[in-house]
Amino acid sequence: MEKINFKVNGVLKTVEIEGYESLLDILREKFNLTGTKRGCDDGSCGACTVIVNGEAVKSCIFSAKKVDNAEVITIEGLAKNGELHPIQKAMIDSGAVQCGYCTPGIIMELYSLFNKNLDVDEEQIIEALSKHLCRCTGYESILDGAKLAQKYLKEK
Amino acid sequence: MSNYSYIGKNIKRPDAVNKVTGKAIFLDDIKIPNMLYAEILTPPYAHAKILSIDTSEAEKMEGVVKVVTGKNCKFTYGDCIKDRYPMAVDKVRYIGEAVAAVIADTPHNAKQAVKKIKVEYEKLPVYTDALDSLKDDAVLIHEKNGEYWHLPSYKPIPNTNIANYYVLKKGNFDEALKEAEVVVEGEFNTKFGSSSAIEPHGTIAWFHEDNTIEIWSSSICPAIIQDDIARTYGVPASNVRVHIPEIGGCFGYKSDVTIEQTVAYIASHMKGYPVKWVASRKEDYTSSLIGHGARIKMKIGAKRDGQLVFIQSKVYHSTGAYADTGVNITMAATHTVGVYEFPYALCEGYTVYTNTPPVGAFRGYGYQYAHLAVERLMDILARKLGMDKFELREKNYLRKDKKFATGEVFNEDYGDIKKCSDAIKNIIFEKEKPKEDENYFYGRGFAAVVKAPKGASNSSKGCYVKFNGDGSVSVNMGGAEVGQGLRTVIQQIAAETLKIDIEKIHCYTEIDTQYSPWEWQTIGSMFTVQGGRALIRACEKAIDKLLENASLALRVDKDMLEYDGEKIFLKHNPNIFVKIVDLVRGYMHEDGVTVGEVIQATSDARLPRYSNPDPETGMGNLGVSYTFGAQGCEIRIDKKTGEVIIDNFASAFDIGKVINPVQLRGQIVGGVMIGIGGTLYEELKFNKDGRLINPHFSSYRFPTIKEMPKKYEVVFIETPESIGPYGARGIGEHPVLGVAPAILNAIYDAIGVDLYEVPISKEKMLELIKDKTKEKAGV
Repeated sequence: MEKINFKVNGVLKTVEIEGYESLLDILREKFNLTGTKRGCDDGSCGACTVIVNGEAVKSCIFSAKKVDNAEVITIEGLAKNGELHPIQKAMIDSGAVQCGYCTPGIIMELYSLFNKNLDVDEEQIIEALSKHLCRCTGYESILDGAKLAQKYLKEK
Repeated sequence: MSNYSYIGKNIKRPDAVNKVTGKAIFLDDIKIPNMLYAEILTPPYAHAKILSIDTSEAEKMEGVVKVVTGKNCKFTYGDCIKDRYPMAVDKVRYIGEAVAAVIADTPHNAKQAVKKIKVEYEKLPVYTDALDSLKDDAVLIHEKNGEYWHLPSYKPIPNTNIANYYVLKKGNFDEALKEAEVVVEGEFNTKFGSSSAIEPHGTIAWFHEDNTIEIWSSSICPAIIQDDIARTYGVPASNVRVHIPEIGGCFGYKSDVTIEQTVAYIASHMKGYPVKWVASRKEDYTSSLIGHGARIKMKIGAKRDGQLVFIQSKVYHSTGAYADTGVNITMAATHTVGVYEFPYALCEGYTVYTNTPPVGAFRGYGYQYAHLAVERLMDILARKLGMDKFELREKNYLRKDKKFATGEVFNEDYGDIKKCSDAIKNIIFEKEKPKEDENYFYGRGFAAVVKAPKGASNSSKGCYVKFNGDGSVSVNMGGAEVGQGLRTVIQQIAAETLKIDIEKIHCYTEIDTQYSPWEWQTIGSMFTVQGGRALIRACEKAIDKLLENASLALRVDKDMLEYDGEKIFLKHNPNIFVKIVDLVRGYMHEDGVTVGEVIQATSDARLPRYSNPDPETGMGNLGVSYTFGAQGCEIRIDKKTGEVIIDNFASAFDIGKVINPVQLRGQIVGGVMIGIGGTLYEELKFNKDGRLINPHFSSYRFPTIKEMPKKYEVVFIETPESIGPYGARGIGEHPVLGVAPAILNAIYDAIGVDLYEVPISKEKMLELIKDKTKEKAGV
């Protein structure tokens, strides 16, 4: 057992962890932040993507130990005061949500991407999205959603 | 232009907000006080006798409350053939089979303890392909084959590994052989694949002390689970409550009862405690249902002028260790002959036990294997006859008064294949094909498709419609939302039919057999057609009840009244009316005396005259509601890497009536992408010992956004259907059907090589290109 402190969606947390636990384990099991999804356990689907210190990481292969003193943002931290984040809105408006299981991870990926540079081109968006698997959409509407999100964020 | 307010409009999904905020509750998100966790032990061998199991070490481990084995298991289960134990009793038949399980306080403790279980096995021969299980000297995978309970229409062959034999016979086949002037043939193979939803399958089972049982599952068949669990444990079905939370994708394999029986068996040993088991990604591949594994030997005979005469096929389906619904997939692959009329047919289907995970539904339900064969052979036949491939097809397309191989007569309201085919011809084939250059071969391919639902003949979908006091409406149905968007369709149909603002229509979220109406299961691209019709029926019943109440309120005969969604008024004097809100709970007169019924209505709908196959001929009303379509592609083959790049993939479907264009396009391009995966990338690979060598997303690699076609084109044709709501047809599975044959036909067009097997990897493509280049150089 080891004690760590970190911020999740702006709130300070202290938690005891076991060495084998991943960030995904503690988010889901200890904090009930179940919006972050488990899809593969080997970092190949991206459903578990969250933000650690501004970077999109795959929380299923990210050791919980490594978030000591870090700032973590999960899908639950995006909507503010009952208002959806523009990326969330764009995914809905473009019809990019079907089963919704890959959606939180994709939104977090785009959140990190656009936070770093809002002027990324389509190729860079595709590069970021290629870390995520979606079985429903054929990706067309997700790419549309990403570009719409970029537009919404620029207009903001 | 239509005057619809909601049909044909891009209404946004009612569940989208919960999904983008992470609040949608999926199976693994559910926590129940006192919940325990199961870990399942699977065998190292795909076929072996169990000699002994020693659980003593595991029982001593931290957090362990119980270790369960199949030793005392007395029952088998299955929807169609009861050939399956929830936990292996005396032998294992595939590598994902449950041999034992640990129940512990945490998933981690359960995982640690399961490693301590010791099992002794005696290995048996392993067959991973139907052709091997069919050999004369093959050992039996099921010694009791033929003795298990099965549906009356099934024909298992005892003392063989054949779980079912099905034959379709149309016409006197001896005549067919005489009449045909040209014959083409091929042996096709669709290798094993997986639905691979991003959410792994999982179940929670809770046996209560009062003999009620609760199940939560990421399943699309709550009613079947309810019946099956009730029968197994000898309790009334009303004592079994099944909850279905949000489902993170299905594509087939979460249909039919599978893991639920195993988790329930485990949980039955810990009465009073909810027990959860969620598949790891590896277990999702090895221990739920996989797909495909179908070989088809097919011959097509024709006259010299291109008139088709016969189709003959033998389907060898490797169904895995347990047959059950695999039989239905074999049957569908056998009686499907594409979009053409064949005067004669002799099609035989063998569902064969193999030592691989059981095969179940996977988007397309067997139709894609038959389409691969038929649509490749039509191209080959056109070449042999020296005919244009469209001219040959058009000559033989099903149209008014022509007959399907199953004997069903084509009605014009079944749709228009010619219009679909023309649309693809225009998009893909009207312009010049680029010429081979230094880097690429270029090719174009086509395939025509058709599919009907495949399901139980009594399959129906129930619906409850309830008016609330403020005139808003709650709709409750049993359809499982797996991402396809049925909730939006429900809102649109209800709002249109009831003439009520769509904001006032609420669609159910989770399914709970305690409250939900009965639905057989949400499969076969049937929800819009059956569920939509059930919903219209319920809405019309509710309107009728409102008219009854209005008749009492206004003291006038019902037929003099008209409903407009807000009020009911006299046809000849609209100034005399009563508001809907004043009729919902009955009509209350000024003195408080209330008359009339509370406005709630129930209904259901099934496919009219849908039947089982005739035991002799295999024919019957096996389709009833068809969706026709055509698909085509433009591809490039990279000479250096062998990669097949899809520049355009076009689909045209006669959808009858478009309910929601954005959702429909999403279904079609999503289906096309699954088809592309199956054609170029996805294969579950078993070694000769029956071990699955790629049970991870990193090794079972389905397409990412980088493999997306450069362009998708989608065309909707609208020939209204008589059965579906507002003329709509089903579409869920159809977009995968033509993908493999269209791409393989395009590969022939590009490099002149006929391929018969999918998937075709880029490594294999590269070899073919090298052979081709050598051939050209005369080496």
